[in-house]
Amino acid sequence: MALSYSIRRIRQLAGGGLLTLLSACQAGTPPPRSITIQQTWDLQNGNQVGDYRISSGLGDITLELGGAAVHMPFHGKVQSMSEHCIALTSPEVPAYLFHLCGIQNPNLGQQPQGQAIGRAEQLVFATLRKQPDGTWTLIEPATDLMTRFLAE
Amino acid sequence: MKRRPRRRWYGLISSSVLILFGFSFGLGLRLQDQAATAKEHLCQDIIASQAVLSRQQLTQLLTIPERENRQAIEAIAEDPYCTLTTIEVRAGVMAERTAYPLAFDPNTWLVVLYEEEEYVGYGFKLQH
Repeated sequence: MALSYSIRRIRQLAGGGLLTLLSACQAGTPPPRSITIQQTWDLQNGNQVGDYRISSGLGDITLELGGAAVHMPFHGKVQSMSEHCIALTSPEVPAYLFHLCGIQNPNLGQQPQGQAIGRAEQLVFATLRKQPDGTWTLIEPATDLMTRFLAE
Repeated sequence: MKRRPRRRWYGLISSSVLILFGFSFGLGLRLQDQAATAKEHLCQDIIASQAVLSRQQLTQLLTIPERENRQAIEAIAEDPYCTLTTIEVRAGVMAERTAYPLAFDPNTWLVVLYEEEEYVGYGFKLQH
């Protein structure tokens, strides 16, 4: 009786330990990111026109990827921003935030350069630059930068 | 009746040990791999191999607002440890990046980004 009790106890402990280890491995999923963008419009990404969701606005660039993969242009962190969009930031590229919408089941968390974030039919892309007051402003991204998102 | 639970017990312990060993081995390899690639791809040119940033320098540096002149940063922190590759984020503007390891936490590096002699911002890069 005592022995079977201790087995059960060890099993519980081992199970708990494994769960802790597994959750430690999953700890890479960061909380959602929320930012203040300087420019605001009525007709912007995420708002509605009647029953329909707006999927891009001024400052967004849409790439017809047709299901191709989007990759990490450098080592960095992927966080969700809304139902359809993610934010990508990297300490290697300070003061910039990349806003990407349309990626299906994106991989969230810290990721190395070249890692696939996910696939997109249409990738809606915006680049934001941090202002001294902590808000973000939309800027025109370089073609070279966009290419990095598509290269492995 | 008493022998079977004991055998199960041994099995349980040995499998737990194996699983733990596997986890730590895999994790170790992953961390080693990350550290090697991080250092390899962060620096482009080494400028001052002994350069570190003191607590005081870091504190002063963080008080400088973005969009300030590049010289404001360089007056506090002289030569960086290294420069990173130049990168074009904003159309038509090349961004220069420099990196400084922290004297009191050498695995953490401060990366500073400049555009057209203007200080744009900083980031803390962890080198495991």
